[in-house]
Amino acid sequence: MTDLILVVEDSAEDVEAIERAIGRSHPGLRREFLRSGAEVWPRLTAPGAALPGLMLLDLNMPGEGGLAVLRQVRADPAFDRIRIVVFTSSEDQAEADACYAAGADSYIYKPMNFALFQTVLSQTLDYWGNVARIVVPPPGDSAAQT
Amino acid sequence: MTTEQRDWAATIHRLWASVATITSREQLADLVLPPLLEIPGAVGAWGLRHTTSVFRWAGLPPESVGHLVARALEATGEADPDWLAAHGVHDVVVTRFDAPGDVGGTMMVLLDGTGDRDHARTCLHQVADVTREAIRRLAAHRAEQGQQIRDALLAEASLQMDAVLDRTQTMGRVARMAVPAIAEGCLVYLCDDKGPELRSAVHIDMRRLAALLADDEVAARLETLAAEAVAAPDRRPARAEGIVPGTRFVDVQVLRARGRTSGVLIFMFERNAGDVPPAQFLHDLAHRAALALDNGELYEQRRREVVAMQQHLLPRRLPVVDGLEVAASYTVGDRVMEVGGDFYDVVVRADGVVGAVIGDVCGRGVDAAALTGMARHTLGALLQEGLSPARALGRLNASLRREGSWRFLTAGVALLRTDPRGCTVQWMSCGHPPPLVLRRGAPAETGRGGGTPIGVLPELRVGRSRLRLGPGDTLVMYTDGLTESRAPDGRMFQDAALPQALERLRDAPPETVVRQLSSAASRFGVTTADDIAVLAIGVARD
Repeated sequence: MTDLILVVEDSAEDVEAIERAIGRSHPGLRREFLRSGAEVWPRLTAPGAALPGLMLLDLNMPGEGGLAVLRQVRADPAFDRIRIVVFTSSEDQAEADACYAAGADSYIYKPMNFALFQTVLSQTLDYWGNVARIVVPPPGDSAAQT
Repeated sequence: MTTEQRDWAATIHRLWASVATITSREQLADLVLPPLLEIPGAVGAWGLRHTTSVFRWAGLPPESVGHLVARALEATGEADPDWLAAHGVHDVVVTRFDAPGDVGGTMMVLLDGTGDRDHARTCLHQVADVTREAIRRLAAHRAEQGQQIRDALLAEASLQMDAVLDRTQTMGRVARMAVPAIAEGCLVYLCDDKGPELRSAVHIDMRRLAALLADDEVAARLETLAAEAVAAPDRRPARAEGIVPGTRFVDVQVLRARGRTSGVLIFMFERNAGDVPPAQFLHDLAHRAALALDNGELYEQRRREVVAMQQHLLPRRLPVVDGLEVAASYTVGDRVMEVGGDFYDVVVRADGVVGAVIGDVCGRGVDAAALTGMARHTLGALLQEGLSPARALGRLNASLRREGSWRFLTAGVALLRTDPRGCTVQWMSCGHPPPLVLRRGAPAETGRGGGTPIGVLPELRVGRSRLRLGPGDTLVMYTDGLTESRAPDGRMFQDAALPQALERLRDAPPETVVRQLSSAASRFGVTTADDIAVLAIGVARD
């Protein structure tokens, strides 16, 4: 898994909150933001494109929604290694079921409170193993090291 | 004071000043270990966090063997002299500190042959004091943050759960709120006659959860855990290890509110112990969920009772009349928790004349229900005995006045006499909405209302009118819940959608008319706040 997180989110407020939350909890991870579902496929399939280790995907976006993006990405085995986390304020269980059926790794509720929002994102990134393997820089870069 | 002493004092001063800015143990190591290399003769400064395998260092690194050396020094103060000598270390000063409520640690300074052991020890102790205070502040900050997050979760979960009265949605929401904010997984078991049954399951990795639950052995262990918790709900919450492969432990919380046990929440944890919320918080969350589930159960129970009681206030079956088709429907308002006052009845007199009654008692609840039953039976019985509708309505009015009831009702009575060419209708209204007449092959018409509600004035005034129904025509009597159903923008069904609905129902049989009118009004309204009664009588086609 790479240290790049691809965030697909149309809401400016949520983009800002996600950037702030991950920047605080996992400053070592690189963040890249796409503001619509339609941008995902060209981004992933561009020649020589660096693939993200994890994609944080909003569900309800104008145009190509998160579920359509999910199905398209999961249809190509070249992207099997990308963890796809649906991050949504939707409370519809049917949508959650559809996302899992389409190959989502996680379906995470987007809280309103920022502290909770940050915790949810942080725990999600921790779970998928980014921190231990990516954030800690290799020995020798700092005077005090792990 | 020598320059060296002044520099060291400045270093210690800087460390103390920086303590407030530290936000993690990683930052702390960066702050406190490098200055220890300023101690004369120091070649390395190592920090070990107890109970974990975290090493921090400055200067000489504790390579693979050095880790063992460090652990030995931490435990006994002595270590492999060969490794130390090979790395130019002649002496090591060690200090350890415990951090109440947090992981303690050991710090050590490795000295070459030129170092002064006593001086190094003094300096190390001074730095350890700074470290201890920084860890205390970090722990306090983390505890405060944890509390804020738990408060926010409880508030948000409460909002989510209060927004629904449906038990299935409540179960889904509590599990979804918990994962991954406080746990990696959350299972909801609800009790039924056969014991706890898994009704909702959420995990940060749902594919893994699906695989775990597909393992009969794991599923059985979890179910046993839930059953044991339900059997002894007052026992302290249990934390069990080894139940679910790959999970550090599970925490079992009984869903219990108002003395009733509705099920069990099982939280699954894979995170560090420091990130696991206190058992009391899980208990509070489970209690909140139990209250929401209990509210849902009470609501459903009450609603079932209301619907059942409402059915008792209506005729069990409608009579079969030659030449006429009779149909009725009753829709209980969706937020209604008390028995409503709408009623209808159809009786056939000995001479074959049909009396159809519809009415609406003001208010809801037991009192209204009693009056509803009384009004229906009075009017039905008097009409069946052959009393004229006007006299039957007048008797009911007198009865209410005599009882001193403050309640009143509106009612409409249709007396239908069939003949070879159709049917004559005598319509009597006491403040009731006018009936509709659906003409065969023609637009619908509205009858007349009029009259005063029953129970208001000593002398009842009755609105009288006559209608003629031909073959295929249908008389529709209804209560105001039908016409006054409101859309979100405030418009009423009567104004905005009834004409179109009637047009669609042209030439439809009475059974279809009552069913579709009721459902159209229910769909139109943002909520079906009021009950809807519809009674339709159609004249058979030629």
